Amino acid sequence: MMLPAILAFGLPYNTLVVAAGVAAVGGAAGVVGGLSVLRGRALSGDAAAHATLVGVAGALLATGQRSLAVLLAGGLVAAVAAVGLLVLIRRFTRTRDDAATATVLSVSFGLGIVLISGMVARGVPGSAGLERFLLGHTAALTASDALLLGLVSAAAIACVAIGLKEATMVAFDPAFAAAAGWPAAAIDMVLVALVAVMVVVGLPAAGAVLVTALVVIPPVAARQWTDRIVPLLAIAGVIGVVSGLAGVVISSLAPRLPTGPVVVLLAAGWLAVSLVVAPSRGLIARWRARRGPRPDAPSLVSGRDG
Amino acid sequence: MNLRPATESPASSSTGSIPLLEWHDLTVAYGRRPVLWNVDLEIASPCLFGIIGPNGAGKSTLLKASLGLVPVTGGSVRFWGEPLSRVRRRLAYVPQRETVDWDFPVSVMDVVLMGAASQLGWFRRAGRRERELAGDCLDRVGLTDLAGRQIGRLSGGQQQRVFLARALAREADIYFLDEPMAGVDAGSQEQIFAILAGLRDAGKLVVAVHHDLQTAARWFDAAALIDMRLVAAGPTAEVLTPENLEQTYAGRRGILDELGRAVARGVRTP
Amino acid sequence: MVRHRADGLLAVLLATVAATATAAERPLEVLATTTVVADLVKQVGGSRVAVASLMADGVDPHSYRATPRDADRLMRADLIVANGLHLEGKLAQLLDRLSRRRPVVAVAEAVPTGSLLPIGNGLYDPHVWFDAALWSHCPAAVAAALAEQDPAGAAGYTQRADAYAARLRRLDTAIRTRLATIPPARRVLITAHDAFRYFGRAYGLEVVGVQGTSTESEAGLADMNRLVELVVNRGIPAVFVETSVSDRNVTALREGAAARGQPVALGGRLYSDALGPAGSDGETLEAALLANVETIVATLGGPPRPTPGTRE
Repeated sequence: MMLPAILAFGLPYNTLVVAAGVAAVGGAAGVVGGLSVLRGRALSGDAAAHATLVGVAGALLATGQRSLAVLLAGGLVAAVAAVGLLVLIRRFTRTRDDAATATVLSVSFGLGIVLISGMVARGVPGSAGLERFLLGHTAALTASDALLLGLVSAAAIACVAIGLKEATMVAFDPAFAAAAGWPAAAIDMVLVALVAVMVVVGLPAAGAVLVTALVVIPPVAARQWTDRIVPLLAIAGVIGVVSGLAGVVISSLAPRLPTGPVVVLLAAGWLAVSLVVAPSRGLIARWRARRGPRPDAPSLVSGRDG
Repeated sequence: MNLRPATESPASSSTGSIPLLEWHDLTVAYGRRPVLWNVDLEIASPCLFGIIGPNGAGKSTLLKASLGLVPVTGGSVRFWGEPLSRVRRRLAYVPQRETVDWDFPVSVMDVVLMGAASQLGWFRRAGRRERELAGDCLDRVGLTDLAGRQIGRLSGGQQQRVFLARALAREADIYFLDEPMAGVDAGSQEQIFAILAGLRDAGKLVVAVHHDLQTAARWFDAAALIDMRLVAAGPTAEVLTPENLEQTYAGRRGILDELGRAVARGVRTP
Repeated sequence: MVRHRADGLLAVLLATVAATATAAERPLEVLATTTVVADLVKQVGGSRVAVASLMADGVDPHSYRATPRDADRLMRADLIVANGLHLEGKLAQLLDRLSRRRPVVAVAEAVPTGSLLPIGNGLYDPHVWFDAALWSHCPAAVAAALAEQDPAGAAGYTQRADAYAARLRRLDTAIRTRLATIPPARRVLITAHDAFRYFGRAYGLEVVGVQGTSTESEAGLADMNRLVELVVNRGIPAVFVETSVSDRNVTALREGAAARGQPVALGGRLYSDALGPAGSDGETLEAALLANVETIVATLGGPPRPTPGTRE
C-alpha cells in the first residue's frame, strides 16, 4: 500500500503508523482513565498492566502458542480478573484501595515471573524473555497493530460516551445509584474492565509504563482546567492524543530513543504546566488569590450565606 | 423495654389499610456482629418520621437495609406491602454528605439532573423534561442562582440542599435521609425542615436519621428510638421521654438527662 | 562365623574397587551457558565429557535470567564454560561469584583483543563465533580448562582442539568462497539485531541490525526509519529474521519499505545467538553457519550450491 506523499506530511511511513497507534491509545486511555481517576482508582491501570504478565504466561503454558492473539487473550483475562478483584476487595473488605492495589499488583506480577521462570527452566519453547512483553515494542508497530489499537480505542470511547450517564452516576455516588435500582457494582466492573482492556491492548504497542501513565496523567492534568465531566474527559483525551503524536515525532528525531518514555515525559510535562498555570486551581492562580485584596468584613445583618 | 409495634400520625387512622412502610423483625448483622436486631415497626401514613439513637446504634444501617444497600440477615421490609424490587421507583435516598467526593467535577445542576435522569432507562440522556424538573427542584430548595457552581464550592447547608433537590427530582413517595442536618447551620436547617414538612403535607413519607434530640422533638411528628433494637416508637413526645433516653443513651447521662426532661416538658431552648 | 565376616569384607573390598573404577570412568560434567558454547565443548571434549547447556535452543542469551535451579546446576558442574564478553548479560554477577568456588572459563576471551570489535564503554561485541577463523582461537582455551580438571585426558583434548580449530579455519575459507558469489551491490545483511558484525567483517558483507548489539535495547523509531531509508535507497532485496529474536522489528521494517513501493522479501531465518534443536540443520555451529550461508546466498544472489553426491 503506497501512501501518497502529500498525506504523510513528509513523515516516514513507520512514524505515521506508530503515531496513529499511540495517539489512539493516548486518546482512549485519557477518556477511560478519566472516570477511573475520579472513582479513586487511578492505579487500577497499573494493577491491570502487571497482572497481564501472569495471563500471558498462563496462556503460553496452556496453549503452547506464542502468538500475539493468544497471549493477549490470556493477558486480558488476567487483567480483568485483577481489577475485578480490586472492586470486590473494596466492596467486601475493609482493606484500603491503595493497599489492595499494591497487593494485587505485586502478587500477580510475582506469580507471572514465577510461572515464566518455571517454564524457562523446563525449556518450554517461547518462554524465554516473555516478561519483555510488558515493555512493548513501539517502534515495531505495524499497520494492522495500529488498526487494532484504533478500533479498540474507538470502541472504548464509544462505551464511555454511551454510558456516560450511568458511569458518572455510579462514579459520583454509588449508594444513590444503587438505591435507585441501578446495578452499581456491575457498572463499576465495566468501568474497570474498560481500563483493563485499554491496558492490555496498548501493552504490546506501547509498554506497561506508557499505558499506565496515559491512564492517569492526562485526566489529572485535565482536572486542573475544568470543573465539568464532559470537558474533563475531552481534555484528557486531547492531552493523550497530543502527547502521543508529539512524543512519537520527537522520538523519531534522535537515534536509540524509545518512544514510550518520551510520550510519558511529554504527558508529565503537560501535567506540570497545568498544575502551575491553570486558572483558579493552578499554583500561580492560588498564590495570586492569597495575595489579592482583603475581603470586606461581613455584614452583621445578612448573616452567613447558608 | 417500651415497644410500640405500630405508629400513627395524629391526623389519620390506619385500621385495615396497608402500611406505607413496614419493618418486620428486621435483623442485620455483619458476620457474627449484630447491628440491628428484630426491629419491628409499621408506619401507616405520611409523616415526618425521625430515627433517633446514639452513635453506632444502627440508624444508618436501618436506612441502608431498607434500600437494599446492605444485606438483610433476618426479617423483611415492605413498602405498601410490596418488596423493595417492585417499588424502587417510588423511593428516594439522601445519603450522608461525607460519602461523596465533593471535588467531583459536577455542578449543582448536574447533580440534580442525576436525580431526574435516574428514572430514565439505560443509555437514555436527560432531556428537556428532566431539565425542567431539575430546575423546579432547585427552585424549591432555593439554589437556582447556584445552578452552575461546582459542588465543592458550596457551604454545608447548600450541599445538603443539592442532595435534597436530587432526591426531589425523583418525584418519589418515600424519602430516606441520612443525617440531613449534620454540619448545617441553624438557618439552613430550618430551610431544609420547611422543605421536608412541605413533602409531608403533600402526602409523602419522610424518614430521616437525626442526631439532635432538641430539634427532633420540634420537627418530627413521630420517631423511633433505636439502639440496635427498637427501644420505642410513636409520636415524638411519647418516645423521647427521660426514661427512654436514659435507657438508650446509658452512660451518656447528665446533659442528655436534662435535655430529655426539657424535651418532655416541651421547653424551647434557643 | 569367621567365614561370614570374610565374605562381608570381600564384598566391601569389591564395592570400593568398583566405585573407584567407576569414578575414574565418570565423564567430566561440564555446563555451558549457550548452545553455541556447548557445541564447542562437545567438539573438544569428546566422550570424556558430558556437556549440557544452561539455555535451551532458541533462547536469547542477552536477556536470560538464571533461576535457583540453574544456580544449583552450575554449582554441581565440574566446569562451567561461558562465552564471556557480556553475551550472557544477566548472568555476569552469578558467574563472577561462582568463579570463586568453581572453575569458570569464558571462551571468547581467548580471542586476541586486537581482533575484537569495540562497542563503546570499554566493551566488545561478544558474537565472535560468527567469524570461524576467530572462533578457532577458542578450542585451545577449552582444551586447557578441561585438562586442568581432567589431566588424564589432556592429550586427547589438545588433539581434538587442534583438529577442530583446523576444521574451523577450513570452514572459514569455504564460507568466504561461497559468499563471494553474491554480487557487490547486494552485499548487505539486515537482521533483527546486531549479531553479525564479525560475520560481516570476516566475509565482506555490510551488516545492519534493527536492534543493537544486545536485544535488551529497544529499537527506536529513528533507527527504524533510517533502516527503511537504507533498504529502499540501496534496493536491498531481502532482510532476515533470527531464531532467538522476535520477528516484530523486521516485520515493521518490511512494511515501511513496502509502503514506499519497494517491498523487501523475508530472506529466511538465521541462527544467531542459539543453535537449532537436535535433528535440525543448525545442530552444531558448523552446520548452523553453513545453513546461514545457504540462506543468505539463496536470497541475495549467487548460483545454488550443488547438493552432495552430485558430480560437478
